[in-house]
Amino acid sequence: MIKLTRIDDRLVHGQVAMTWTPALGADCLLVANDKAATDEFLKMTLGLAKPASAKLLIKTLADAIIFLNDPRGQNMKILVLVNSVKDAAALAAGVSEIKSINFGGIRTREGTHSIAKALAVTDDDIAIIRDLLAKGIELEVRQVPTDNKTPIETLI
Amino acid sequence: MLATYLLLTLIAVFGHFEDFLGTTLLSRPLILGPLVGLVLGDVTQGVMIGATLELIFMGNIKVGAAIPPDIITGGVLGTAFAIMSHKGPAIALALAVPISILSEMVISGLFVFRAVFNKKFNQYAEAGDYKGVQRLHILSGLLKPVLMGVIIFVALELGSTAIKSFLDLIPAWVQSGLQVAGNMLPALGFALLMNLMFNKRVAPYFFLGFMLAAYLKLPIIAIGGLGVIIALIVTQDAPKLAATASNDDDFDFDDTPAETTPVEPQHQLSNGTLRKLFLRSLTLEANFNFETWQNTGFAFAIIPVLKKLYHTKEAMTAALKRHLQLFNTSPYGSTLIIGITAAMEEQNALDKDFDEESISSVKLGLMGPLAGVFDSLFWGTFKVIAAGVGTSLAIKGNILGPLLFLIIFNVPHLLLRYNLTFIGYNAGTKFLQNLSKSNVMDKLTSGAAILGLMVVGAMPATLMNIKTPLNIGSSSSAVGVQGILDQIVPAMIPLGLTFLIYYFVKKQVKTTWLLLGLLALGFAGSIIHLFV
Repeated sequence: MIKLTRIDDRLVHGQVAMTWTPALGADCLLVANDKAATDEFLKMTLGLAKPASAKLLIKTLADAIIFLNDPRGQNMKILVLVNSVKDAAALAAGVSEIKSINFGGIRTREGTHSIAKALAVTDDDIAIIRDLLAKGIELEVRQVPTDNKTPIETLI
Repeated sequence: MLATYLLLTLIAVFGHFEDFLGTTLLSRPLILGPLVGLVLGDVTQGVMIGATLELIFMGNIKVGAAIPPDIITGGVLGTAFAIMSHKGPAIALALAVPISILSEMVISGLFVFRAVFNKKFNQYAEAGDYKGVQRLHILSGLLKPVLMGVIIFVALELGSTAIKSFLDLIPAWVQSGLQVAGNMLPALGFALLMNLMFNKRVAPYFFLGFMLAAYLKLPIIAIGGLGVIIALIVTQDAPKLAATASNDDDFDFDDTPAETTPVEPQHQLSNGTLRKLFLRSLTLEANFNFETWQNTGFAFAIIPVLKKLYHTKEAMTAALKRHLQLFNTSPYGSTLIIGITAAMEEQNALDKDFDEESISSVKLGLMGPLAGVFDSLFWGTFKVIAAGVGTSLAIKGNILGPLLFLIIFNVPHLLLRYNLTFIGYNAGTKFLQNLSKSNVMDKLTSGAAILGLMVVGAMPATLMNIKTPLNIGSSSSAVGVQGILDQIVPAMIPLGLTFLIYYFVKKQVKTTWLLLGLLALGFAGSIIHLFV
């Protein structure tokens, strides 16, 4: 069962290990990222950051979709982590269980503008966001679980 | 009075100066309270009020961009007004809570505003002017202590007469209501801590801590010691404990890190230069802002290395620009990344074919995961034990409380932070690979959870004082309910209340609402004589 799908460009870090994992009672962190799945260095560092109470899976987007659609995942409490709006959309398209996406942190890059603290998006991202909203998927902005959910449509 | 107000302002400025002092917890109410007491001539009151506020705000921590209430400003003003009006801890918290929330908003605003300097930083980088970068990092960093200092001074100057006469109007029943509510509020702090650590696997240790405190009346310092021993035994004898979660099925599970090509640095930098990295890392958060986070702090820390390595403007410009990219990690483990970066910069200076991009990608790759490790270790374990031991002494007015609090937290903090600089520089990513190949990390996180949770379990029994004055039966043969409860489970009310709040925290009820709810419950409970 997917407890949360989160966009966070640091993937696993302090907020995820210390606030989200315990708050959701997650026993599995699934990092869905093509680069991390093939980059041994990234894999190693993500493995270090993993909280002791959960297991960590690092998969390519395609494998993550297969995994999340596998009925054996039903008795796991999964926190899905992606690092871009694009990847979140690809995941949502492939996994019908994803009805809500949490926007955590995306750092500023070339061509982005900040829409909330710790959240910077490009025009392409906004197009994808509108598309997801049109499909009826909830898009909420929250750094940590106790923040108020801010619907993304109020920010763009 | 002016001199007193100035001194109080300086205490708060000192607290806000912590961003330059390496997040050493000097700004916690447990430390600033006694200082305020010293200025106002009542250290004992300051120690006790500081401990009360520490208990309530102990679950408030800064992770990522989540900024907790500004307990520096709230704590100093609340403690000062409470001592000046002789009204005690209950009034301090009634004032500290709203002030903290208000000044948090001011600080968030500042963190947004600071981003406007990023353009200036980039201009300095473009010119290879590392001195400019250093100067602006410090100047922009000073904005927070200075701004908050002005606010605090004005609040004292304009507000104290009004607040004193307002406090004098408060009737006795309101005060006793606040007193009861104040005794209840630590439940929120404990519940927030539990939320960080509590899960089925380590739950027994919470209750072990509770029983040791409630039945055996062991002091928290003893329970912390026992916790260390138990954590050592458990993680040694059962190395598979941490791994069991991953072995229960083989359902497509993969977290085994494979080989990577390690960076083999050729060491040239002196120990003196490396020590500078450590010292400068203490200012990592000084210029924190919501756009690029700790980037200028990182640049500031690494500049001694850049100065040694790069002697042309072009090289310095490229390096400065590289390190002014966004950065954010746990200050406690930051020197590991800074040390690794130093080794890579050195390699880059020596080797023309070195891929500069790899410096940034290692930095960015490590900052998140290492933040997870070090934030958990320090906020979830060292801080909890330090605060448990410190407050349990300080709540009785013992000045050793604040001192032990600083020592327990900062001896491991500074030793580790200092050594990580050298480990990062000398062993670099190899060290991390060894770490991830061994199960040291799993042992460490499991052990830390056991230890932290035992201390948190002891807290409701040791640090919360709520009793019921209810009697059963008529006047002559009345039996006190509290006496009966004590025979079954001592400290049953504090434990129950902590779990109640924990339940609501799990339900993701906002902290502010829980604070208000507890205040209301304490108030109502006091009025109908359910609690004293």
